Amino acid sequence: MTTLTLTTPRRADWLPKYGVYLAIAALIVYNAAFTPYFLTVSNLRIQLIQVAPIIIVALGMALVIGTEGIDLSVGAVMALVAALIPLYLGYGVIAAVIVSLLAGVAVGLINGALVAKVGLQPIVATLALFVGGRGLAVVISDGQLKDIRNADLIYLGSGDLLGIPVLVWTAALAILVVAFTVRRTVFGRRLLAIGGNRPAAELAGLPVQRVLITVYVLCAVLAAIAGLLSVGRIQSSDASSIGLLIELSAITAVVVGGTPLTGGRVRVLGTVAGAVLMQLVIATMIKNNLPPSTTEMVQAAIILVAVYAARERKTR
Amino acid sequence: MKSAHRRVAVAALAATCVLSGCAKSEEEPATTGAGAAPAASQVVQSAAPGAATCTIDQHGGEKIDLKTAKVGFSQSEKEANPFRIAETQSIKDEAAKLGITQLTTANANSQFNKQISDVEQMIDAGVQLLIIAPLNSDGWDSVFAKASAKKIPIVTIDRKINAAACKDYLTFIGSDFAEQGKRAADEMAKALGNKGEVAILLGAPGNNVTTLRTSGFKDQMAKIAPDIKITFEQTGNFSREEGQKVAEQLLQSKPNINGIYGENDEMALGAVTALKGAGKKPGDVKIVSIDGTKGAVQGIVDGWISAVIESNPRFGPLAFSTAGDFFGGKPVGQDIIIADRSYDESNAKSDLASAY
Repeated sequence: MTTLTLTTPRRADWLPKYGVYLAIAALIVYNAAFTPYFLTVSNLRIQLIQVAPIIIVALGMALVIGTEGIDLSVGAVMALVAALIPLYLGYGVIAAVIVSLLAGVAVGLINGALVAKVGLQPIVATLALFVGGRGLAVVISDGQLKDIRNADLIYLGSGDLLGIPVLVWTAALAILVVAFTVRRTVFGRRLLAIGGNRPAAELAGLPVQRVLITVYVLCAVLAAIAGLLSVGRIQSSDASSIGLLIELSAITAVVVGGTPLTGGRVRVLGTVAGAVLMQLVIATMIKNNLPPSTTEMVQAAIILVAVYAARERKTR
Repeated sequence: MKSAHRRVAVAALAATCVLSGCAKSEEEPATTGAGAAPAASQVVQSAAPGAATCTIDQHGGEKIDLKTAKVGFSQSEKEANPFRIAETQSIKDEAAKLGITQLTTANANSQFNKQISDVEQMIDAGVQLLIIAPLNSDGWDSVFAKASAKKIPIVTIDRKINAAACKDYLTFIGSDFAEQGKRAADEMAKALGNKGEVAILLGAPGNNVTTLRTSGFKDQMAKIAPDIKITFEQTGNFSREEGQKVAEQLLQSKPNINGIYGENDEMALGAVTALKGAGKKPGDVKIVSIDGTKGAVQGIVDGWISAVIESNPRFGPLAFSTAGDFFGGKPVGQDIIIADRSYDESNAKSDLASAY
């Protein structure tokens, strides 16, 4: 009995922290044995390209979740960006980038203001733009798919820099910036303090409203970058389908990566690993030609395990 | 706070820019091929003798003049897909041509509940003819009850409803999806010389278009080219992005694949992007798809796609002429199957302008 009570808390601590890495390792071992051409550079490349936009969005989501919030509007931001890009691409790719970032900032300011100043629940505040943002995007684009031929924009989404896709470089840079922000900056500490205990943070005199607004702006800007790169990757802009359900993929990556939904902690590398794990699950199912319903069931099982593990730690 | 205000100002500026129309989009490339070829309207396949027909006496209702009739059109899916754009436009154009001024249209945006309420509202508003592009094949009972109480004829287009023709609805006008799959198999077998490995990019699951385009393709392939093996079937949900993602995985793990059958053009175009990304050249992997959109026909001209089987969305002329015959007392077919064309390298360039 004594050994049991001693080991239980240790196991509970270990699972949410390292479970995602173990699951990735298990999938890689399985695929190495059963999937042809799995351990190849070309495969690594494709998986990284496909997961990069999800990682970029999930990093922003992790920051928001760190403040005990949630942002449902990230997919709508991608749709808005996709709708705006063809309108301004005539001025060149720089204009498209600027317009995309501005759209992200605008959505982030609205979300942040609704959460921090008006005091709405984050899930309700961002629901407004989740619905309205995509609707507006469909109106702007006339609901029609537009082909993108601008070589510079296609380079951003599909091109290589030093042999590595620009998309992957961007995701790597985003990981570094977010990790540095969370671990090394005053802003990062304030963010976690607010997520851990907002009333205490307010009493301690932290600029709670400003930090919250900045977090939502960061999240929306990251989503805008993901939207821009996705348009360049698909080489067409379809506001009604781009980023559809990506908010769920992003939340899944954050949760599976061990970041608690209760705020106060952000696991940046865990989030990246969570996104990679879900991508590997999808890749495994497709490469082995299993029906899509199986993929969904496996994903559901992984989420359940992750949530269960997080619950264990809380009640420890 | 100062910086926040500045950011608001910049965002507001950008918004004004959108509204004031300082936008500048990319220049369209000059389209190749003939200029003003007329958009090909649908042609009915010759009906088998003795095929079931329907008259106004069998169905019920009174003879009216189509020109002054109130007509309702319910579209099923968002118009992001060229097929839907062309379909709605065709209905509107034909109504304008016939001088029908009282046409109401609604789009259910892929939500079935919305389509049911769209149609019920049209019935309440007193339409005398309903043209419906159904999202689902089942679940129409409440609509049928309302429509038959007022004896409103319903013409369903592109997808069929599981119900009794000439009673619940007047007639179905559409393509034979299994036949489209069969013809795609013929083209694929021809492109591959009757041997090789083929992958299928399936449409959205649980949809009769997907089911029939798959079974038609597989049955015909087994019959005419047993040496062609279908080794991969994954859904791309009829979307370009998912078609691209699935095709990327496919090309990586099965580099020996010879052909890709896309159950619609959008997924096939996604596969083309994936092929480009994988460093393949036009023709390395043969692609056959169904729909006949401009992008896909241009893909044939560019050498990426071998053949496209058309699914003609221009239902306007046929739908209104059928309704006109019905109101005029003539018998109309209960199942009007249209003849779809096909595009390959011999006619892609010349017919590009008639693709939608």
